[in-house]
Amino acid sequence: MSRRLRLLLFTLAMLCTLPAVGRIAAHMPRFGAHPLPYGDAINDAAPRERHVTNMVTAVNFDYRGFDTLGEEFMLLCAVTGVVVLLRGARGQDLSAEPGEVVGREIADRADATVLLCRAIAPLIVVFGIYVALHATVTPGGGFQGGVIVASGLLLLYLGEGYRGWRRLVRSRLFDAFEGGGAALFVAAGLAPMLLGRPFLENVLPLGQLRDMLSGGLMLVVNAGVAFAVVGGFTLLFIEFMEETRAVREGDDPGEHPT
Amino acid sequence: MSVLLAMLFVLVAASGTGVVLSRTPRRQVLAMAVNGLVLALLFMALQAPDVAFSELVVGAAALPLLFLVVLASIKMDRGAR
Repeated sequence: MSRRLRLLLFTLAMLCTLPAVGRIAAHMPRFGAHPLPYGDAINDAAPRERHVTNMVTAVNFDYRGFDTLGEEFMLLCAVTGVVVLLRGARGQDLSAEPGEVVGREIADRADATVLLCRAIAPLIVVFGIYVALHATVTPGGGFQGGVIVASGLLLLYLGEGYRGWRRLVRSRLFDAFEGGGAALFVAAGLAPMLLGRPFLENVLPLGQLRDMLSGGLMLVVNAGVAFAVVGGFTLLFIEFMEETRAVREGDDPGEHPT
Repeated sequence: MSVLLAMLFVLVAASGTGVVLSRTPRRQVLAMAVNGLVLALLFMALQAPDVAFSELVVGAAALPLLFLVVLASIKMDRGAR
């Protein structure tokens, strides 16, 4: 497509959409205003009905927990898709050499990097666990805590190198986290049905407001999400990082050793 | 709207424009990471720390890493031929 044609198409598209965009922008609510009643309703109801102070967790894991189950399985499907697409033996041997790019040297790891990663990675993992544990009390929750833990584990790669990282972060364990987390979520949904109650109804004791162990069934769902997210993200990192290793004879059918 | 928010909005717009205007893929990935970082700060300033956590890790660390790995893998593959 020539430059002129592209410009013409762009101008036409702008002419078509600009009035609509302008009209919507002019009728937007003021910055910071929240005209919808749902936020206030949740702020009012959740501490009373569910004994939690983090409304986001109350909405995600209880009031619309069924939707979150769908999101959970989207993550599971996405990670499964990545694992299936990138399967193959490339990089699975811990002694796999790093792949080489012509004209780019592989620099040695600086001592400062190793020191910093060793100091910070455990702190980040602990902080992630803290965020996940306090899902019903303070901002954050299973997803946020899970991604923080996964990023802390990734720092081990930066500090220890591929071999050390793969020795510490075993993919079998994180397979179990990913699948087990999703299974725990489903089990938390099905358990109330055994008592003759609706799917995912909060049947556990709700505990005290502002206590870490408040929220009843939300805590189980939150744990499932946390495990699944740690597992999912770490598996994603492992599968992708395997692709940075050099291909050996017989690793992946269809790929040539470098 | 406070001065802090106004500054962050300008930064988000500037770093977003930076993503669009950078031409080499590697530089674009890094620009995207900066954009993710600024967005996380904005969410923090708008009192949404949980969204800020996710944006910080996913937008500023995980996603750029996956892109960098893909770019490196493509380069390795091209070098091999």
